[in-house]
Amino acid sequence: MGIVLTKDPVVEGEILVDGASLRYYDSMDSRGERNPIVLVHGTTGSTAVHYGYLFPMLATRQRVVSVDLGQPAGELTIDSFRRQVEAVIDHVLAGQKVTLVGYSLGAVVAATVAADRPEIIENLVLVAGWAKTDSQQLLRNSVWNALYESGNKDALAQFTVFCAFGNPFVGARTLDELAPAIKAVNVTEFGAAQMQVNRDIDIVDRLDKITANTLVIGCEFDQMVPKRHSKDLFGAIENARYTEIPSGHAVVFERPAELHKQIDNFAADPHRHPAGTIIPTVKP
Amino acid sequence: MTTHTPLLIIGTGFAGLGLAMKLKRQGDNDFIIIERSDDVGGTWRDNRYPGAACDVPSHLYSYSFKLKSDWSRVFAPATEIWEYMRWCAQDEGLMPHIHFNTNMLDAAWDETSKLWRVQTSQGEYTANVVVTAMGHLADEKYPAIEGIESFTGEKFHSARWDHSAQLDGKRIAVVGSGASALQIIPEMAKIASQLIVFQRSAPYVIPRPDRAYTEAEKRRFARDPESMEALRSDLFWGMEYNYAQRRGIPKSIAEAYTMANGHREAQVSDPEVMKKVTPDYEIGCKRVLISDVYYPAMQSANVYIEASALERIEGNSLISQDGNAFEVDAVVFATGFEAIEPPFAPHIHGRNGLTLSDYWSTGMQALDSTTVAGFPNLFIMNGPNTGLGHNSVLYVVESQIDYIVGGLAYMKERSATVLEPRPESETDYVDEMIDRAAGTVWLTGGCKNWYVDYRTNRLTVTWPDFAYAFRDSNGEFVPEHYATA
Ligand SMILES: Cc1cc2nc3c(=O)[nH]c(=O)nc-3n(C[C@H](O)[C@H](O)[C@H](O)COP(=O)(O)OP(=O)(O)OC[C@H]3O[C@@H](n4cnc5c(N)ncnc54)[C@H](O)[C@@H]3O)c2cc1C
Repeated sequence: MGIVLTKDPVVEGEILVDGASLRYYDSMDSRGERNPIVLVHGTTGSTAVHYGYLFPMLATRQRVVSVDLGQPAGELTIDSFRRQVEAVIDHVLAGQKVTLVGYSLGAVVAATVAADRPEIIENLVLVAGWAKTDSQQLLRNSVWNALYESGNKDALAQFTVFCAFGNPFVGARTLDELAPAIKAVNVTEFGAAQMQVNRDIDIVDRLDKITANTLVIGCEFDQMVPKRHSKDLFGAIENARYTEIPSGHAVVFERPAELHKQIDNFAADPHRHPAGTIIPTVKP
Repeated sequence: MTTHTPLLIIGTGFAGLGLAMKLKRQGDNDFIIIERSDDVGGTWRDNRYPGAACDVPSHLYSYSFKLKSDWSRVFAPATEIWEYMRWCAQDEGLMPHIHFNTNMLDAAWDETSKLWRVQTSQGEYTANVVVTAMGHLADEKYPAIEGIESFTGEKFHSARWDHSAQLDGKRIAVVGSGASALQIIPEMAKIASQLIVFQRSAPYVIPRPDRAYTEAEKRRFARDPESMEALRSDLFWGMEYNYAQRRGIPKSIAEAYTMANGHREAQVSDPEVMKKVTPDYEIGCKRVLISDVYYPAMQSANVYIEASALERIEGNSLISQDGNAFEVDAVVFATGFEAIEPPFAPHIHGRNGLTLSDYWSTGMQALDSTTVAGFPNLFIMNGPNTGLGHNSVLYVVESQIDYIVGGLAYMKERSATVLEPRPESETDYVDEMIDRAAGTVWLTGGCKNWYVDYRTNRLTVTWPDFAYAFRDSNGEFVPEHYATA
């Protein structure tokens, strides 16, 4: 079951929340100068899939904990995931302030945690997240769902890659080069349930309860959660700064090193840029 | 006669020219550049052996502040890079500042006058501030080979290619299996009657995605410079990704093996050759090299791989460590450069006459990779902990340019005659380098490499982190690290 994330041993554990068995990973770092980072993955993801690069690279500098979201016994809502993340934080990092990082659906979850537990979420990073599902997302979600129901796995995988990666990224590659990404798409029932949760997201009323130093990261070529959503979060969260990465929604695969820079810089010094700043994109 | 200048830059490679361009653009004309050769270009003036090209794509391996829209290929040949640098020097008005054929012999800090006294092949210069931009891979390294003088045929180093040498149809030996050797071997295989490759250890090789740019693309780049910047950003972060290999991240190591092993298996069919070209150390410890023509060349009928180092030479006979002898007419030494102990270090004297090489007797070190305690008013480009195996060296160079320009402005602002790196800041920085290097594949990968100081096992050549982290850390001058007078 174990996945190999770093060269050094990572502690793996499991806890039960609402009947869901949750796995978490902890790099167990004692340097302790920074708040531990807690990572929350996105739709149909996991620590291994979405943070296979970021977890170990962030862990070269500080403690990192990651949650694999699980399917609860009862109804699945955004608050099921919120309780799961809170439970892992309380279990692993009791009494500590954390830097919570969420990607995609994980960003939505992270925002709800930050609103619910402002006393422990000192810093917050929302990557390609959103506050309220809009029509563009609903149309994509419906097509996705029709393909899923049809049982045409191939078409579903192609559609997923088509939407997930930025158009410059896809356009610059041959179909052969994209084949591994298409092959890697694997939808479980739990994944499909998360797609249903995505349809009804509306956390607009909670955003003003977030007090954390927040970094909102939008993806320039995001077709799944267009960057205007990130700009909305930037506007709605009082203590937020914003930056953009020239990538599609699949930034954890397309530009993981750049994402690493943004998260690591922020974790090292969340106050470097005052709230309201648009941090310029790096020009190498 | 002594020539005085407020600022003396030594070297006209990418580092020296880049700094001069930045100064000139901000209206600062008070500097002289000395260069031992008769032209600008450094690495790219010297390394024009057959097959020479960059291995970082040209749209990234060029100044961000001097983009070139018409690079002929993804990986431009050496001559084109050299032409680019000459164009930069001319177009930016640097030529009148450059004193060619002026070899720095010795530079000493004069405590009384608070000046550097620099002796050159063309007389003495004095300068308030000196910037060394003499390169990190500028001085060729010959292995100590017994009997080398008894060889009567053509023999030269890859960086000192003798373009008059007649090699067609000759029996040629190439010594080495690093980046230069990989570019030279396929070219020599085309012309040699027999080619012997002396290979101490086999490199990992991955595909080289090279191609020519079309005229339409070049015009698009010219008309829409933002598209060049977007490409540059793609290339930079794509290369940056591979830093994870240097940290030994299991996922990245696995990806790198897949790519390198797949390339080797796709290109090598001869089982004898396969045995010889399969590396025996962890990937990433030495640089992963790129080539699509290397393996095919290694399998040519006229090529023989001696999987052993060259040990001695007797007349025209080259004898390997394994004891095999080969008669040849010409030897090319693709044996790399002096990087651990820079050749200029014995000639730079700081406070109390101490030389840089004395100060560095346990390995190179510098504050913010750029200045050295006890050596006031001195900036070193591409010195300690600046090398990159996974991304463009120019990203580091441009960061250092910003740092130095900031330092010079700081001195001016305070009317300081002396800028003194604080020893405790340097110590902190060195400790930080040790921290950053811990756990990198250079120290744990179990292979000999030229990034680690053999005396202390400290990583002194390479920057042990993402390239972006170099700029985060050293892209801006830090006044608190200095005292002024
Ligand atoms: C074959 C080869 C290929 C490379 N390919 C790449 C690549 O693809 N990507 C990459 O990032 N890096 C590459 N590099 C590394 C390359 O060295 C750097 O990118 C960069 O060119 C270094 O610039 P520099 O100005 O520091 O040094 P140099 O280019 O070496 O310039 C130093 C200059 O100082 C002069 N000089 C030295 N000593 C004295 C003295 N005593 N007095 C006066 N003048 C002196 C020299 O003549 C020279 O002109 C390559 C290196 C080599 C050798």
